[in-house]
Amino acid sequence: MQDTLTLYGRSFQTRILLGTARYESPAQLIESIEAADPALLTVALRKQVQGGLQAGQSFWNILRKANRPLLPNTAGCNTVKEAVNTALMAREVFETDLIKLEVIGDDVNLQPDPFGLVEAATELVKQGFRVLPYCTDDLVLCRRLLDAGCEVLMPWAAPIGTGQGPRNPKALRELRERLPDVPLIVDAGLGLPSHACQVMEWGFDGVLVNTAVSRAIDPVRMAKAFAGAVQAGRSGYLAVPMPVQELAVASTPEIGKPFWDEASRFVAQETA
Amino acid sequence: MSLTVNGQAAAIPDPPTLQTLLAVLHLQRPYAVARNEEFVPASAYQNCELIDGDRIEIVHPSAGG
Repeated sequence: MQDTLTLYGRSFQTRILLGTARYESPAQLIESIEAADPALLTVALRKQVQGGLQAGQSFWNILRKANRPLLPNTAGCNTVKEAVNTALMAREVFETDLIKLEVIGDDVNLQPDPFGLVEAATELVKQGFRVLPYCTDDLVLCRRLLDAGCEVLMPWAAPIGTGQGPRNPKALRELRERLPDVPLIVDAGLGLPSHACQVMEWGFDGVLVNTAVSRAIDPVRMAKAFAGAVQAGRSGYLAVPMPVQELAVASTPEIGKPFWDEASRFVAQETA
Repeated sequence: MSLTVNGQAAAIPDPPTLQTLLAVLHLQRPYAVARNEEFVPASAYQNCELIDGDRIEIVHPSAGG
């Protein structure tokens, strides 16, 4: 059975989105991309420092060689204006309407600014973008983003780069239940493959990881581990888990057990 | 008469358009430009006249999460 991730009408064979930042070397990034086999690669725009123009070019060459669909971000934007103009520049450079919209409301934990997010998303949708907002797990915010025209949401698990895993599992699971038909990708804060597996078991449609892979001692191995964990979690979700029981239920059949007399047990129960 | 390009002072080129400035800088593609924090599409470079104090920002593909 085919199980594809569909984002804005486009189908993807895998459910992991991979960030391209904070790798030790271009080779490590390239190998990690191959190991993770991501649906989308996140990228950014930055000014080049004087005399450092080649850096942008070498990164561009890596992207061309990787030949993966790109998801540019508006990372580091604190205002709606910055985010909108960054998105416009990203569309021209990367030739895609997809944008991972970040409007940061707090510089300490890089928490999304819900008000700026809705305003920027509204403007970008008007301008023809397909917006994937990096948001919190707040249901009302998520609804407003959907009203603004977002068709995919990317709630955080924990603050960016912390690797804490889902901080508020109940809110995430409730969000999944309340928005059953919206593609939801858990973005930010995952640290372990088990975190990714967990949110996939809860029915999330995908995960976006960067630091969890690039800051591992062996990023290539970790990329592979995340890919496997995402697949395992997805399969676990599709298989529909057994209901949790309060009391033990023996899995091995009772009948035919040695050293045990069925008849005497029956008598013992009658007299008890 | 001067402007800043990515925070560094630069002279206004002649003729004073964004297109002339970008030609002088010999940039490798791809890149995108903002003038005074507003995106300028590539199709508008030729007609974008630069004036004293303009802040030009040029961005390139970069690693991101």
